[in-house]
Amino acid sequence: MMKWILFLPELYCLLMAAVFFGLAMIGRPNPRRDYFAALFLTGVSIVVCLACVRLEGTLFFEAYRVDLFSQVFKVMLGMGLFLVVCLCTELNGIEERHHPEFYLFLTTCTLAMMMLVSSVELLTIYVALELSSYSLYILVPLRRGHGIDVEAGVKYLMVGASASAVMLFGLSYIFGVTHTTYIVELIRVLPGVITTPAAIVGLVLTLSGFFFKLAVFPFHFWAPDVYQGAANQVTAYIATASKVAAVAIIMRMVALSGGGSTYLVHVLVTLSIASMTLGNLVAIVQKDMKRLLAYSSISHAGYVLIGILSMSQTGYASAIFYALAYLVMNLCCFLVVVKVAYDGSDLKIAQLAGLHRRSPMLAMALMLAVFGLAGIPPTIGFTGKFLVFAAAMEKGYVTLVIIAMINATISLYYYILVVKAAYLLEPDEEMDRLAVSMPTKLLAGALVTVMVVFGIFPHHLLEVARAAARILM
Amino acid sequence: MNSLNIYLFIAALLFSLGIFGVFQRRSLIGMLIAIELMLNAASVNFMAFNRFLAPDPIVGQIYTLFIMGIAAAEAAIALSIIVAVFRRLRSINIERAQELRG
Repeated sequence: MMKWILFLPELYCLLMAAVFFGLAMIGRPNPRRDYFAALFLTGVSIVVCLACVRLEGTLFFEAYRVDLFSQVFKVMLGMGLFLVVCLCTELNGIEERHHPEFYLFLTTCTLAMMMLVSSVELLTIYVALELSSYSLYILVPLRRGHGIDVEAGVKYLMVGASASAVMLFGLSYIFGVTHTTYIVELIRVLPGVITTPAAIVGLVLTLSGFFFKLAVFPFHFWAPDVYQGAANQVTAYIATASKVAAVAIIMRMVALSGGGSTYLVHVLVTLSIASMTLGNLVAIVQKDMKRLLAYSSISHAGYVLIGILSMSQTGYASAIFYALAYLVMNLCCFLVVVKVAYDGSDLKIAQLAGLHRRSPMLAMALMLAVFGLAGIPPTIGFTGKFLVFAAAMEKGYVTLVIIAMINATISLYYYILVVKAAYLLEPDEEMDRLAVSMPTKLLAGALVTVMVVFGIFPHHLLEVARAAARILM
Repeated sequence: MNSLNIYLFIAALLFSLGIFGVFQRRSLIGMLIAIELMLNAASVNFMAFNRFLAPDPIVGQIYTLFIMGIAAAEAAIALSIIVAVFRRLRSINIERAQELRG
């Protein structure tokens, strides 16, 4: 039995990390070489993930399961990594001699997240989560010379380390109540004891560690500072790939409860409403584009939670679809941020003024991405929100859906402000046209096409999401 | 002395001290120590549940070993970032790092 083939995407990531480690050790800095190496290697990683999508099996004494659920998320993570690397043509935010290390930590983080979505044992989950967090802790302070980067890095580190310690404490209670650490066993045992205080406290504490990764209220306050303090490409990665992995693991943990605990549902509903409302209201006053996207990510975490807390197959499927939609829309936003702030500085919203003349392609991509985030048809963002709300309605959470709808309307205001800056405002002084290369135009065009086409015809993606969600039940 | 509740109580106490320390301490090293306390609370819990309840007496000990190893890695990364903070701000007091707001 060729069992190692199940582990192929992870092995490939490990190989990539080894290559970048080698590049970091040898010779003088050479950004072009590093960039093309990264582009090629991560491009192949999507192919590897796609080739392995139908594999099934278990590894490492049943602690590691390869199934459609994990493989779908691995494809998303591979795509996220590739697209973030595509944004690195001018990696001006990071010193040239640190470029190989930047790619190294991106790949180790992706490796860890791929392991995270496949783990079905508590210790494996913990180790994978820590590996991905540690890579991000180092990526954030890598930024060149600002001073705010170390501040953001140390805040991220302290909040993250506390959150993972809280999570570990929760895991110890789950172990104490159920006497097992395997998810398969937990699904069987935990619903029986879910009414005991120790079990529910354990589950909530455990979830808080993952909520930190997803930036759900009350574990959100690192997000704006880290988004602003980290280099633009690093922020793009934190905002996309790491959110996808967090959604996956939260789904696995919530599915453990078996839907039998009204208390857990109440906790999730409260957190979801708080995240949405807080994220949307604070985003309105933001002047910095990355801070605005940070608060918008907090509110989107709330929307995803609606799908998850429905605890039905449609709910999980809608959450998977929403995660993919969010990945594409957010990457499109960050494509514009990275290209407009090509010198690696922070982008103020006012600096978007006149973008439609400086680069019509980027302005259009930004408009569609922002409309997608706001949930305007016919983009993929609308379809995602529709599916999530429909799943909640099926369960009868009408009030929750109404609150979410109101929130979506509030969010429209600050998203429109961004579009207004790009299309209607005139810059104070005349600015040159942005030099946008052909591959960038192609990439923006491809992202826009994906957003619109899958917004109108979501059936194929939804079928895959349903099949993946079935495995959780 | 030899009952599960005592150990659980000690772990909960350690954990609360850790949480309190993270919010109370202004020095980054102090916060790091508080986080280590929280990790140790989880270790105590794992060992206690393992000793009194679990059918397989190895699991908790393996967990504790892993937690020790990971805590060491975490301390290494945290200290390296704290050194970077000190070089930039000439201080490891968290109140000096207040530039990011809004």
